[in-house]
Amino acid sequence: MNGHEILPYLIIIPLLGAFSMPIVNLLGRKAREAWAVIITGATLAVGSALFYSVWENKSIIVYTLGAKSPLGQANFPIRIVWEVDLFGAIMVLMVTLVGFLAVVYSLGYMKHDTGLDKYYTLIIILELGMLGIAITGDLFNFYVFLEIMSIASYALVAFRNDTWEGIEAGIKYMFVGSIASAFILLGIALLYGQYGTLTMSYLAVKLAQNPTVTAKVALALFIAGLLFKSGASPVHMWLADAHPAAPSSISAMLSGLVIKIGGIYALARILFSVYGAGMSLRGLYMGDFHPAINLTTVGWVIIIFACITLIVGNAMAVIQNDMKRLLAYSSVGQIGYILLGLGIGLAAYGSQTGEIAMAGAIYHTFNHALMKALLFLIAGVVIHQLGTRDLNELSGLAKTMPKTTFAFLIGAAAIIGMPPLNGFASKWLIYESSAIFNPILGAIAIIGTAFCTAAYVKVLYTFFGRPNERVMKARDPEGSMLWPIIILAVAIVVMGLFPWQISDKVMIPAVKALENQLAYISAVLGGA
Amino acid sequence: MDVMGNIVYPIAGLLGLYGFVSLASLLWEGIDRKLVARMQRRVGPPLIQPFYDFLKLMSKETIVPNTANYMFRAAPVLALATAIALLAYTPMGFTPILASKGDVIVFIYLLALISFFKIVGAISSGSPYAKIGAAREATIMVSREPAMMLAIFAIMWRLGKLGVDKPFSMGIFYQHNIWEIGTPMSFVGAIILLYVFCVWLASEIEVGFFNIPDAEEEIAEGLLVEYSGRYLALLKLTKALKAYIAASLVVAIFFPWGIAGYFGLTGLSADVVNLLFHTLKVFILLFVVGSVFRAVTGRLKITQAVDFLWKNVFLASLVGSLLLAMEVIM
Repeated sequence: MNGHEILPYLIIIPLLGAFSMPIVNLLGRKAREAWAVIITGATLAVGSALFYSVWENKSIIVYTLGAKSPLGQANFPIRIVWEVDLFGAIMVLMVTLVGFLAVVYSLGYMKHDTGLDKYYTLIIILELGMLGIAITGDLFNFYVFLEIMSIASYALVAFRNDTWEGIEAGIKYMFVGSIASAFILLGIALLYGQYGTLTMSYLAVKLAQNPTVTAKVALALFIAGLLFKSGASPVHMWLADAHPAAPSSISAMLSGLVIKIGGIYALARILFSVYGAGMSLRGLYMGDFHPAINLTTVGWVIIIFACITLIVGNAMAVIQNDMKRLLAYSSVGQIGYILLGLGIGLAAYGSQTGEIAMAGAIYHTFNHALMKALLFLIAGVVIHQLGTRDLNELSGLAKTMPKTTFAFLIGAAAIIGMPPLNGFASKWLIYESSAIFNPILGAIAIIGTAFCTAAYVKVLYTFFGRPNERVMKARDPEGSMLWPIIILAVAIVVMGLFPWQISDKVMIPAVKALENQLAYISAVLGGA
Repeated sequence: MDVMGNIVYPIAGLLGLYGFVSLASLLWEGIDRKLVARMQRRVGPPLIQPFYDFLKLMSKETIVPNTANYMFRAAPVLALATAIALLAYTPMGFTPILASKGDVIVFIYLLALISFFKIVGAISSGSPYAKIGAAREATIMVSREPAMMLAIFAIMWRLGKLGVDKPFSMGIFYQHNIWEIGTPMSFVGAIILLYVFCVWLASEIEVGFFNIPDAEEEIAEGLLVEYSGRYLALLKLTKALKAYIAASLVVAIFFPWGIAGYFGLTGLSADVVNLLFHTLKVFILLFVVGSVFRAVTGRLKITQAVDFLWKNVFLASLVGSLLLAMEVIM
């Protein structure tokens, strides 16, 4: 299959779905729900095909909007390009998969709410924004998709606008999120003013030829904005409010996808493909090319934030009594691991340690999307069936909701990193590389895991304890809510059975593709 | 792929080991009870009493409390399954069946997982007594494992420096042993670590000072209070297997010598002879650490046990590991 031909459908289908939703809605509830499932299902099909195509051909797909070549009459790109390498393709697969499951789950979960035509429109737009970020090769296009994603998520966090906490969290998220987006826009404006291009690959060449202070200022703005979007400590506070307040299907997408696409993926793309390109260019042209930044320094900046995030996130998770808040802080903690892998990948750039660390980061991104989506969907089931998320009132849930609690057991074990499940391999790669890179970082990672274990064991203690009266009336949920949970749990177990195969066949090649900026650049510039 | 070598033989070996270790570990319980009875001037039960107990429990009616959930039934099975899986990684006079690079982590993980399943089973019963027992078991587990982990990683790292093909594998002890290093400092370190491992073994099999989580008299059998019939039989068998496995680890680290070489045996017969000799060593170790310790001391309070494990045993482990590692570091 030709990935180049199907790539546009990744945007066309959700766009069509979102814009036709108000019309389809006129046909009634069933039509609306069916339409949402069909649209996200088709997107999943396209996403899987795209992933398979990129993985199979080991190529980078470049798609130019409006012409055959991005170059036009000039010798530099003048059009918007989309550029998907293996890293981007993994993100596409992750987004479409979790997005589809979240929509299916919403059928049962959201049926007591009103205004659902807007809900499904927004959730498809959210997916659209994330897919756009993953496939774009243009900096301003990236900003537009980032804003689409962000605005959709502000609206979805505050979707239940009859609750005080939805509004509060939405406002908080929106105010600080807009500032973060403004940072990113300012960074893009600075780069454009300095270098006169917005295409990432061409910008990488320009940056390497002429690294300036402006570029560094822009990078600082990017890092600040994107660390906010990824929920890194000390700017994680929006996350701990937004995730509990949002409907659970949205929490699953926020925690599983938004913080990774809008934060981790964008950060890795900008740092590796745009700013880090000087090294490989110098090797090719023997000319006066420098990396625009000192990768080691930036790596250490990210590592420092990663360590703070690891400890703060996981430690705060231990003391929560609110189930979704606990999961939200745990997400912060897990973002710490991913950032740690990313930071070491930069600081040890070009060495095998760096490669392993980055592979661990990408792998953990994918795994955590599955695990955290699973856990948030379960939290949603609990809220839906019992109307509370206070852990003190949920004692003995295993008695009356056996399937749900068993899935939780799997998710919790995976997130702690127990061996037969998928979280083990990805965390192991991060532990191993951090211990080789700097043993202190390894120790910090272990401490974070100890806190994480304590947090989840606490929840398990509650779930498997003596049932209280409130819990005795609960039941396992209906099929549309249960099946996404089962699918995610099975995915976690199956991925856990082949950890090193996945790592060698998918994650390591993804890192190699990310570190091979020359291929990324020449795919657009045609070797120029 | 070599089906016979990779799948059939390991499974056959694992089943054989499982059969043998079940018999040996239950037999040891009989011997243990006999010996402790003799120390207290009693006649004691017959040697095969644990087998009678096991069969009787298997045949009794199994009562499941109203408040129990599915993990109450699953936990005994999972705990036993974990113990059986652990046999494939346990050094028993020869290199373990599934020995590979880094499998020490699997060993520690599975050993801890047995306790974890016991804890989950106990809290799933809904009984407050079991919950107290589970909390105590968790506390002891968190306190005892770091000392052992530090010591075993230090030993394996040190032995790895002597040159082995699979570093951090449980088979390492049959290539080099801790006494081979031979410097006075490492000798003292090894003695200290032997102490650490003996205390760890006592706390792992919960005798003497550490008979806390199941404390019969205080909290009515603690962890196991709600278990009866088949499930109790499975848990008792798991406990016996775990005692044998934990003692096997200590024997393999400190007394790994086999005798098959003296008789000029090779292949399977050598493994069998070594296994029998290993079992003898395990029994002697369990006599010292289990029976004698159980007969001469009572239990500590939970706070005292935690203090003891951190302030005494963990510190000893730290000192011993440093002494053992000294000439490599310096």
